[in-house]
Amino acid sequence: MMTGQHGSQPIQHQFNPYSDNGGTLLGIAGEDFAILASDTRQSVDYSINTRLSHKIKAISPSLTAEFKAQNPKMIGTKNSILFGTNGFSADGDALTRQFEENWKWYVHDQNKSAMSMQSAARNVQHLLYGKRFFPYYVHTIICGLDEEGKGCLYSFDPVGSYEREQCRVGGAGASLIMPFLDNQVNFKNQYIPGTNSTERRKVDYLSLDECLKLVKDAFTSVTERHITVGDGLEIFIIDKNGVRCEYHDLKKD
Amino acid sequence: MSQQDPSTINGGIVVAMTGKDCVAIACDLRLGSQSLGVANNFEKIYQYGKVFIGFTGLATDALTLSSDLKYKHNLYKLKENRGIQPEVFANLISSTLYEKRFGPYFSTPVVAGLNEKTGEPYVAGFDCIGCIDAARDFIVAGTASDQLFGMCEALYEPNLEPEDLFETISQALLNAADRDAISGWGAAVYMITKDKVTKTYLKTRQD
Amino acid sequence: MFLTRSEYDRGVSTFSPEGRLFQVEYSSEAIKLGSTAIGIATSHGIVLGVEKRITSTLLVSDSIEKIMEIDSHIGCAMSGLTADARSMVEHARVSAVSHNLYFDEPMAIESLTQSVCDLALRFGEGASGEEERLMSRPFGVALLIGGFDKLKGYQLYHAEPSGTFYQYKAKAIGSGSEGAQSELQNVYKNDLTLEQAEMIVLKILKQVMEEKLDSTNAQLCTITKETGYKVLSEEETKEIVDIIYEEEAAEKQRQEEEEDDDEDEDEDEDVDMN
Repeated sequence: MMTGQHGSQPIQHQFNPYSDNGGTLLGIAGEDFAILASDTRQSVDYSINTRLSHKIKAISPSLTAEFKAQNPKMIGTKNSILFGTNGFSADGDALTRQFEENWKWYVHDQNKSAMSMQSAARNVQHLLYGKRFFPYYVHTIICGLDEEGKGCLYSFDPVGSYEREQCRVGGAGASLIMPFLDNQVNFKNQYIPGTNSTERRKVDYLSLDECLKLVKDAFTSVTERHITVGDGLEIFIIDKNGVRCEYHDLKKD
Repeated sequence: MSQQDPSTINGGIVVAMTGKDCVAIACDLRLGSQSLGVANNFEKIYQYGKVFIGFTGLATDALTLSSDLKYKHNLYKLKENRGIQPEVFANLISSTLYEKRFGPYFSTPVVAGLNEKTGEPYVAGFDCIGCIDAARDFIVAGTASDQLFGMCEALYEPNLEPEDLFETISQALLNAADRDAISGWGAAVYMITKDKVTKTYLKTRQD
Repeated sequence: MFLTRSEYDRGVSTFSPEGRLFQVEYSSEAIKLGSTAIGIATSHGIVLGVEKRITSTLLVSDSIEKIMEIDSHIGCAMSGLTADARSMVEHARVSAVSHNLYFDEPMAIESLTQSVCDLALRFGEGASGEEERLMSRPFGVALLIGGFDKLKGYQLYHAEPSGTFYQYKAKAIGSGSEGAQSELQNVYKNDLTLEQAEMIVLKILKQVMEEKLDSTNAQLCTITKETGYKVLSEEETKEIVDIIYEEEAAEKQRQEEEEDDDEDEDEDEDVDMN
């Protein structure tokens, strides 16, 4: 597309529909809980748009007055889905809203109170694959409890390929944190001392406190080394009591 | 074949860490040609007196550079009649790399050693044109440097004893290599203390 | 009365002054002409049964299809204009498969029934002439839809041409439905086994059918959590039919013997009298 002349050189302009808003998204599924966490910085190139953006939304059935009275700090029921996107935040927001709408229609049409994680995952795949040739530029992670009450996490690539996993990191800090999680959550490369690296350390569920410690460690580490990660850390926790959200400061430099 | 980044053709990583009166340096053993694995015994760490240097990046440049530094190290010994200190070696590498400012070696070396006078642990890294990064904690290099940064930043703590430093650097290297398709295929760790250097081969996954 | 009818029974979406939609009411009449279909929901599974009207000895009974699979966990039986049912079943199958594709779970029976009824209600679409018409008239067929889902367990629904549906524990439709329904009401119990239900369906069909029941002019299917939708083979149907006739013969014999006893008693009495 030619829009102007500069000397004899034609200048070509192209609209770029995408931008990279940085940030990192991290999820861990425990035995009877799941965590989804992200930093709250939103940036473009070297500028920071905001230090308090929200990449995760808890999609929950409406809370009864009784529930609110009993759990004043809870922002969702145990049937909620923690929906996190990372990458191009406009696409992430659009995807989140679309899924939320689908979730509401599903609840109405199927006479249910909530959507199962398995169904949610399949639905997200179709939302993403529906834009196969103009994709949502996001890495998506959803967390919740499965039908047995076990911690559950699904992660997606931008065009809808998905997998249920124990843990996953998406976004700018993925390459930094993922090997750390392999090591600390799935005990990769850990052997029982004295067995001469013949007996693997048995994989076991981590407690909520251990997971929270890992999440905070991971984010402070990646904040040190990655410029688009920092400012704040939002941690959503879902268990049999419901959903709650923690906020911690990260370095703002 | 289309134009590509020379520093990621062969693959491979090096990491160095400081501890309490000790330093450690470790590398993977893979040599590849893009996705094709060529050798699983390609060690990237060389010893120059009591200084250890790991070379990542384009293998041919790493080899050339290591030979050139061996030559310069020998000359240094003849002229000075004493062992070279890691700080000095770092400057030697820096100037060697900068000589090729406009046609650089596609290799990023990592230096590790103890200063013989002070006993202080020293690690340093470089970019391919010789800028020294003399970190107090750790240096990473190679195709899985992002992964290594994440691992080291999370696992590292200062003033570790040799045994603990060995475990830390090994875990950092292994788990980083497992998330990089062109690193791995074996690993070697050097633990350097005042009166002993140990070299250990690690058991790794072979994919 | 005749006048109002003739004026208001033409348009499918025009109410009569009394508030009736005659075409919809007529569609229900079409079902009353159809062959009988029966469904029973038990706590162990669903049984659907239909009669097949073999109008000629040359007719191949296998070619009459009045019980159809919608999904591996849902089946349906029909009565009325069975040709209409084909497009309903087609729609139902698409709904079930799409739901499974989009949500990775089997479709709930109630939702499936709702989606069939959504289609049944579309006879009014395009009546204003603005868009192209989908249908010229309401469907002339009713469906018994049965299946299992995790939400509500075993369920049986009756979907009418009007687009309304109701859930039943047991339901009969078609020409013999009046007699069949009252018999169902008599024999239905909450703790019926699947085998008992199969037997009940065939027995009632036998009662309301004009032809003599055999394994070719009736068809059964079962839907269970474990095995899903399954049509009984002719041999399996024959086994049950044979039992029914055996029981009947035994019953007849017992009655005859009783009568004989009565006669004997009478004779005794006679003797006494004498």
